[in-house]
Amino acid sequence: MKTFAYFGMIFILFGFTSCIEIIDDITLKNDGSGTLKYSINLSSNKVKINSILALDSLEGKKVPSIAEIEAEIISFKNKLDAKTGISQVIVDYNFTDFIFKIQCDFTSVSALQLAIKEVVQELSKEKNMPELDHNWLSWDGTKIVRSIPDITTKRVKELKPEDIELLKTGNYTSISRFERMVDKFDNPSATLSKNKLAVMIRTNPYALSQNSNILENTIYLSPIKN
Amino acid sequence: MKLYSFIFCLFLGNLVFAQRSEDLIPKDAVTVFSINNISLLQKISMDDLVRYEFMEEVQQELFDGSTSGKTLKDSGIDFNQKLNVFYGRGDAYEVSGFTFGIKNKEELFQVFDDFEKIESSYPGIEFYSSYFNNLIIRGNSALLIRVEPTMEKVDEVTDSIWYARGNEDPWSMYDYEEERESDSAYQEILEEEIFEEMEEEDKPVSNYDFPDAEEDPNQKNYYELRDSVQVQMQMGFLKTLCDELLVKKISLSDFDPRFAKQLTHTSEGIFYLDNSRNLEKAKGLWYFQTMFPSLYVDLKNLYSENVLLGDLLLKENSVEFLMEAHYGKELGSIYEKMNDSKFDKNILKYIHNDNTAYFTYNIDLREAYEQAYKIIMPILTDERNAQMSANVLTIELLNEFVNKDALFGTYKGSLFGTFNGIKKIKTKKIIFTYDEEFNYIEEETEAEEDMPIFTLGFTTDRGDIPEKVLKHLSRLTSRFENKGNYWVYENAILESAPLYMINKNGLFIFTNDEDLAINHANGYGKEALSKKESKKSKKSGFVYGMIDWAQAIERFPRDFFNAEQNAIIDAMRGKTGTMELTSSKTSAEKTNFKLVYNFEGIYDNSGKYLLDLLNSVYVISK
Repeated sequence: MKTFAYFGMIFILFGFTSCIEIIDDITLKNDGSGTLKYSINLSSNKVKINSILALDSLEGKKVPSIAEIEAEIISFKNKLDAKTGISQVIVDYNFTDFIFKIQCDFTSVSALQLAIKEVVQELSKEKNMPELDHNWLSWDGTKIVRSIPDITTKRVKELKPEDIELLKTGNYTSISRFERMVDKFDNPSATLSKNKLAVMIRTNPYALSQNSNILENTIYLSPIKN
Repeated sequence: MKLYSFIFCLFLGNLVFAQRSEDLIPKDAVTVFSINNISLLQKISMDDLVRYEFMEEVQQELFDGSTSGKTLKDSGIDFNQKLNVFYGRGDAYEVSGFTFGIKNKEELFQVFDDFEKIESSYPGIEFYSSYFNNLIIRGNSALLIRVEPTMEKVDEVTDSIWYARGNEDPWSMYDYEEERESDSAYQEILEEEIFEEMEEEDKPVSNYDFPDAEEDPNQKNYYELRDSVQVQMQMGFLKTLCDELLVKKISLSDFDPRFAKQLTHTSEGIFYLDNSRNLEKAKGLWYFQTMFPSLYVDLKNLYSENVLLGDLLLKENSVEFLMEAHYGKELGSIYEKMNDSKFDKNILKYIHNDNTAYFTYNIDLREAYEQAYKIIMPILTDERNAQMSANVLTIELLNEFVNKDALFGTYKGSLFGTFNGIKKIKTKKIIFTYDEEFNYIEEETEAEEDMPIFTLGFTTDRGDIPEKVLKHLSRLTSRFENKGNYWVYENAILESAPLYMINKNGLFIFTNDEDLAINHANGYGKEALSKKESKKSKKSGFVYGMIDWAQAIERFPRDFFNAEQNAIIDAMRGKTGTMELTSSKTSAEKTNFKLVYNFEGIYDNSGKYLLDLLNSVYVISK
């Protein structure tokens, strides 16, 4: 329960943060294994975050100390590290600029999704989380279908309207990288890198809260050359 | 002649025997709010009323839904009598409640529908009870009261009975060592998990079982015993209070003539706080009480006659709160010396005429110290205790050796503060920049963030001393830098924004206002406070404060208030006016304070304003 409360509180901190920047960067190898990098940058609002952290409570919820947030991050890392198909979990956090990064290797996208769902479930007091039924990644060797986890949009929708308004100035960047060239992709907002090995879509958390499909993309890869 | 005598006797009889709700306030009440013109409250809904903090002690009954949609007008209350809310805490028990007049008992019991009549041991008095609340009706006046023994007293009596019965330490089963070794954050998580398991399995975890009595299974366990003790003590204390109030007829107005006099005021509301009795509830003094009992008695004597008396006046375009702070002769002599200080005009140069709020505080710390030394040292010296003697010796030696001229020359005691709303300040942020292959790197760039702008300065005759400190600090770290007219301490505020220090004109000023430091280190000049405004500050006693309400409301940082507080702020939004605090010259007996809220336009519900203000005072004084 406490764990969930801490995550809730961190989300409130985000809620009060107008310029949140999130980068969701996945590298997929031809064999379906890969690396996920997830970064959250709150440095634009460090004054506000520092002042909130100086409070005992906010909106009736206890404000966690830096040590408590750190303990939760480590707990998340350890839980993720213990999951089947997940390895090399690295967390990097910086409480001066408030930048948090997590990175892990996975053997398959299904192993990655299962691991994340299990960790979220373990950390949550909610027994039934229908949003965890949703698969946001699928890979068949030739194409990847990407969206963003329902759990993310659900949390954004729980914010008060005035806080959601603040999210307009933030950034959500989704990057998909591959070992071979991209042939085509569905989402017209996406851009292709110069070497044609990566696709990026950028939006803001507000637009995401209004339309969770905005980052949906199917990326078709060129055939493997033998 | 006989007729005149008869009429006179009738009139006198009416005065003597008239029912007055204030006569039911027990003498244990330490804080009382008495609302004279309660007709103002007729429009207040019961739902709104029970949301106030001052109602929380007795709100249990009112929250049960029976009052939903009703106003005070429907509650059977007599609006010709005063409504008095009280609270008090003594050594052994707390009392809280309110007294009021009754007009229609049937309507009253539609509100107090959970109360059941119980047998009364007092002739002519009706008793009703609901859980811990008691409703006592005498004639047309009622007292709703809750008496709660303090947990310290309950524990003391319970422990005494527990051990007298031959039981062991009820807490021995806890492994304190293990608890101490655990990290506190993880411990909290562990406890949460244990409680969650308890909820799930619906059975207690062995570590959290209540301690049992050892031999006899019929004997109460510790918690059962404590509950019984609590109930018995509650009944005992209520009886003592009722005997005193209803049999001996000693109410607070009989006990304290200052309160009785205050009750004669015709203002909309009066306020009474007996600080001398409040001293007993000051938890910080328990050590003195235990270790130095005679010193504690002396301290109590020092605080005797320390009482706050207030009046609330609702005028056409203002709400005024007048307060008299009374104190005993000895404490009064310290305050008198402390507050007899010459106003430092220099501070007015540093208050901008467009500021949102400011205060000036003008005291002479040196005089206060000398007088306090004269009054308090004999009390400390009289205490026959080795530890106290060592402390007295230390104080006396410090008094001899410390250079008081330098100390009180550096910090004389007078200060001022201003709040200038929210401004953009420069900070640094990290951004991610991407190359053609979407690889990204972190780059530091300049950013702007909102921050409340404040200035706090104090008068000094020895500006050379803080200058010395700053010079040494600048040698230790590059974050301190002398910029000529001012000093800057980089990233001092929330690890993000600089703090500026100005050491000029007999003032040492801290501010995060870059404009003040860079462009106005010698004061605002023509942009400073107008002569008219300055005069008000100079004319006031030791303290003066002013808030431009319209500006302050607009400039409040919303993020730092909870939803309820923001709702109050929103309700005040659009209202114009100022709030001004002034004080009188301090005498050895008292200081008068006056808080005036001037506003333009009319207020739609004066009762709500009245309750808001009373509630604020209650929260602050509790």
